[in-house]
Amino acid sequence: MKCRKCKAPAEIPLPSHNTAFCRDCFATYFTGQVEKAIRRHGLIMPGERVLVALSGGKDSLSLMLELSRLGYDVTGLHVDLGIPVSSPAARAKVQGFCDLHGLKLRVVELIKEGLPIPDVKKYINRPVCSACGKIKRHWFNRVALEDGFNVLATGHNLDDEVARLFANTLRWDAGYLSDQGPCLQAESGFARKIKPLYRLTEFETACYAFLNGIEIHNAPCPYSGGASFTGHKRLWADLEHQSPGSKISFYDGFLKRGRPAFALVEKDEGHALAPCETCASPTSTGMCGVCRLAIAVTERRAADPDRQ
Amino acid sequence: MITVFVEPENETFTFERHNTVLMLQKRLGLRVNDALVIRGDRLLTSDDRLVDGDEIRIRKVTSTG
Repeated sequence: MKCRKCKAPAEIPLPSHNTAFCRDCFATYFTGQVEKAIRRHGLIMPGERVLVALSGGKDSLSLMLELSRLGYDVTGLHVDLGIPVSSPAARAKVQGFCDLHGLKLRVVELIKEGLPIPDVKKYINRPVCSACGKIKRHWFNRVALEDGFNVLATGHNLDDEVARLFANTLRWDAGYLSDQGPCLQAESGFARKIKPLYRLTEFETACYAFLNGIEIHNAPCPYSGGASFTGHKRLWADLEHQSPGSKISFYDGFLKRGRPAFALVEKDEGHALAPCETCASPTSTGMCGVCRLAIAVTERRAADPDRQ
Repeated sequence: MITVFVEPENETFTFERHNTVLMLQKRLGLRVNDALVIRGDRLLTSDDRLVDGDEIRIRKVTSTG
């Protein structure tokens, strides 16, 4: 297999684009896709400070490296979930990566915040992945606002976005369908959120990470077994295999024709937001969901005879 | 004989003979963009040939949360 651009031996086959690249031409392609996303959706303006959420996986670390190479003022944010074995390993990868590349890093430790994920799993009767996601998003937004960042970047890739869009569509969730996309503008106490990797697949970010020598934390979360998005990704992998290009077509089509329609609906039915009475994060219920979770965990932990 | 190490399961398999990466991918139930196929510091494509003594690393790319 030859590189489509320079005819050198190819290393990265991309059936979705009916092409293949050598590593040098792939680097150019990858950067081009990130720049296209930033330019097309106005993700980052000149001089803005960018907070990048870092899990230790291939996507977030690749995003951080690419944005820094493009000259953006980036700082990493890692939320240490407090899960034995898994969290220290992930944190070590993030710390090692930032040290190696001389990148700034901020860490939030959920144990210090009184809300480690093992306790959430034990004391809260709801899917732990849902609660964990809510807590992480809370801290991403909170740190971004408190530390004066203009924008919060996450490493969501095309597969993540398509799986999420598919799930939202299965439920016809107008609220989420009204604003899913690569850029969610700042409003009502929320920082601007961007997804510069939305045009790139998991395979492409994995290739980028490997070719750039990024050491990643790739062990699955011990609590994530059976997560619905993983099943949706498998379905979409089948579709993409049968019909290359389906993912980007579905997602781009939604951005152009689907989201504007749902945004009109939500404009009429959206909930008013106000600062949380405890932490000042935006909420429609007086106290935000994460503060309510923290209170529930604290109370049940105190009443647990095993923790006395 | 080729040796195949699969991530993130961290499982090792040995196979007597596979002519190409495509045959190995089919044997493991993988499509072309399901996993990186790594030999040394290079990524392999489906038409690359495998030879006796190869040590291949399969890195699945789907994140699971």
